Amino acid sequence: MSEIYKKELVFLVTGIVTIVMILDYFFVFSPVKDLATQLRTWALVIQLMAIGLGAINLVRVHYRNIQKRTQTWIYSAWFMVIFALLLVLALMKISQGGQEYWLYTWFFTYPYTSLGATLYAITGFYIFSAAYRAFRARNIEAAILLVAGIFVMLANAPIGEVITPWFPLIGNWCNSVGQIPGMRTFAIVGAFGLLALGLRTLLGKERGFYSEVA
Amino acid sequence: MSDKTIWDKLQNVDRRVFYWILFVGLAVPFMFPLGLPVAVTPPTQGLYDGLRKLQAGDVVVLSINSGVSAWGDCLPAMVASVTQVLRQDAKLVIWSIGYVDCDITYREIVNRVPEFKSKTYGMDWVYFGYCPGQESNAALLRDNIRGVYTKDIQGTPTDNVPMMKNINGAKDIAMVLTSDTGDVQTYYRQQWGPTKSSRDNFGAVKYPVAEIGIAMNLSGDMSFFLSGDLFGLTGGSRGGAELEKLVGIKGDGTITMDSINVSHLLVIGAIVLANVGYLLTRGKK
Amino acid sequence: MITNVAAYPTDIFGIIGLWAGLLLMLFIYSYPLWKENPLYRFAEHTFVALAMAIAIGTNLNSLNNTAISPLTTKGQFLLIIPIILGFMLYLLLVPKYRWVSRYPVAILVGSSLGVGMAGQPLPNIVSQIIDTITPPKAGAAALNWFNFVYIAIGLICVTMYFLLTYEHTGPVKPVTQLGRYFIMLALGAYFGNTVLFRFSMLASRAQFLLQVLKIIPM
Repeated sequence: MSEIYKKELVFLVTGIVTIVMILDYFFVFSPVKDLATQLRTWALVIQLMAIGLGAINLVRVHYRNIQKRTQTWIYSAWFMVIFALLLVLALMKISQGGQEYWLYTWFFTYPYTSLGATLYAITGFYIFSAAYRAFRARNIEAAILLVAGIFVMLANAPIGEVITPWFPLIGNWCNSVGQIPGMRTFAIVGAFGLLALGLRTLLGKERGFYSEVA
Repeated sequence: MSDKTIWDKLQNVDRRVFYWILFVGLAVPFMFPLGLPVAVTPPTQGLYDGLRKLQAGDVVVLSINSGVSAWGDCLPAMVASVTQVLRQDAKLVIWSIGYVDCDITYREIVNRVPEFKSKTYGMDWVYFGYCPGQESNAALLRDNIRGVYTKDIQGTPTDNVPMMKNINGAKDIAMVLTSDTGDVQTYYRQQWGPTKSSRDNFGAVKYPVAEIGIAMNLSGDMSFFLSGDLFGLTGGSRGGAELEKLVGIKGDGTITMDSINVSHLLVIGAIVLANVGYLLTRGKK
Repeated sequence: MITNVAAYPTDIFGIIGLWAGLLLMLFIYSYPLWKENPLYRFAEHTFVALAMAIAIGTNLNSLNNTAISPLTTKGQFLLIIPIILGFMLYLLLVPKYRWVSRYPVAILVGSSLGVGMAGQPLPNIVSQIIDTITPPKAGAAALNWFNFVYIAIGLICVTMYFLLTYEHTGPVKPVTQLGRYFIMLALGAYFGNTVLFRFSMLASRAQFLLQVLKIIPM
């Protein structure tokens, strides 16, 4: 009996919600539309509340570091200080009806923006070193990849056209025609894959979304 | 005596040397710009032509789904398209269903587009902020904006925002511009796309959706531009530079192109050098 | 040409903020340009803390606007159900009652899957196939016809490459081999665009460095 409401009923709920969404998309039927809108709002609210799970896990990890005085405990302590400060400022923003405290705006505008942009940009360095160390035309397929990549790069950079008009011509052809068979197939095959995944979930065969029973 | 050739030695150069060469190579062109011309490609031209068709009073949604990390790629094109939208006296509804730091991007756009100075918040544009939910949210917004955004970013109830009086879904909006680092344009294509279709034209008439994407999206989404699911597509800072040229402004997209020239030549040089070395040393091993 | 300019801040907190941003950026770049060091770790932890706190604040603000405010001020009492479901999600952390968290996940999964499944066929399958099989208009240039044939043949070859329910031998082998070449061309173009993306980000950081140092105007 416990297996039914721990597993089977869960799959039933998933199935019903999925079917309501699909029916809403293809049919104009007021009760279905209202139910689908309501369910989407519920999903939105649940998603908004889910952020706390990530925060709790993160705080637990750093708290353990501090408690056990690991090698990196000082960074964890710094994390806790900044996290607590920003959280208080964010809650103050909510209590003031969306009006930001100046310190929150300062943190958001300067450190957060700079760090966000910087951390993602660091991969540019690795692309360059990978281009030198790893990208070898060992066979015909790798050669095609590299040649296509070079033409596209010279099409993207205005200097390609200065060197010769053939670079942007071939590069833009690669972008607008050459890559289409591959990319279009990825899109089509990916769509079929999602439909297959959805069907498996509806039939209760896809259980990866749910945690194991304790 | 070492029998290492110059190619073997080049293989073992510390990678930090490359990083410094790259960083300096990216910085120098900003101080000594070349100003090479940028040719416009069909996807960017498609976006511009679509914006030019806007009538005064049309409502355009700008969905900011790229974070500060993608400013280099998406911000120039966003600034250029917002400039054109406001010049056409169309109205803007700005929101985000993808990135938490959309607030800072919104502020940056408002700072950089001088046309905002002659417009009134609430009458000509409104900003709703971020709400997650991905594709479900896109579907919800298609039918009922007030179901997602009950207030704008200033705390004004949506019903009290003057320009939102008769706007509550896709049917009241002329087009969607979505700045994207991944799949968000997919959600608008899939959920809003068939809105204009009927039994007679099943899928042939599509809701106008354009993407202001990172450079990789130029690869992934070109198929959708060719099939008409997207009426325009800009990819990366190059797309931003093209759109700036069409709109007639000089922004970060154009300024960055010189840096892109140097960096791309460095990468191509590295690939060619490495492969020449590989081919020359391959037979000896 | 009109030049868009965002001005260098004139207030003291703005200038401090700009320099704080620059220093944090240099701390992060000390890792690839030099070696791992405490400054990099410090900056990394700062970012994670900021990102998480801002995400929580933004989400709570949205939750207030979407659910709590309509529930308390507009009498939309049905919204108490997703709030309860949201709290049920936190039982994921309690091993004995972990199964309770499956219900809100079921609604999330069902909602995403439903809209995803419904939205896939038209733009991602039908539209793409129609565009592939639609020939150029009469009188179109020879290149247009070449492109049409190229895309059509390429699509078939790549699709056959991805059909894994049979062995790629015999007459099928050259077709799937051709499919691999089409895929490599696509990935090469993707790589070329990836380089543009990564270097645009890095270039904007180099630009920021020069702007803060007032070597170039902001």
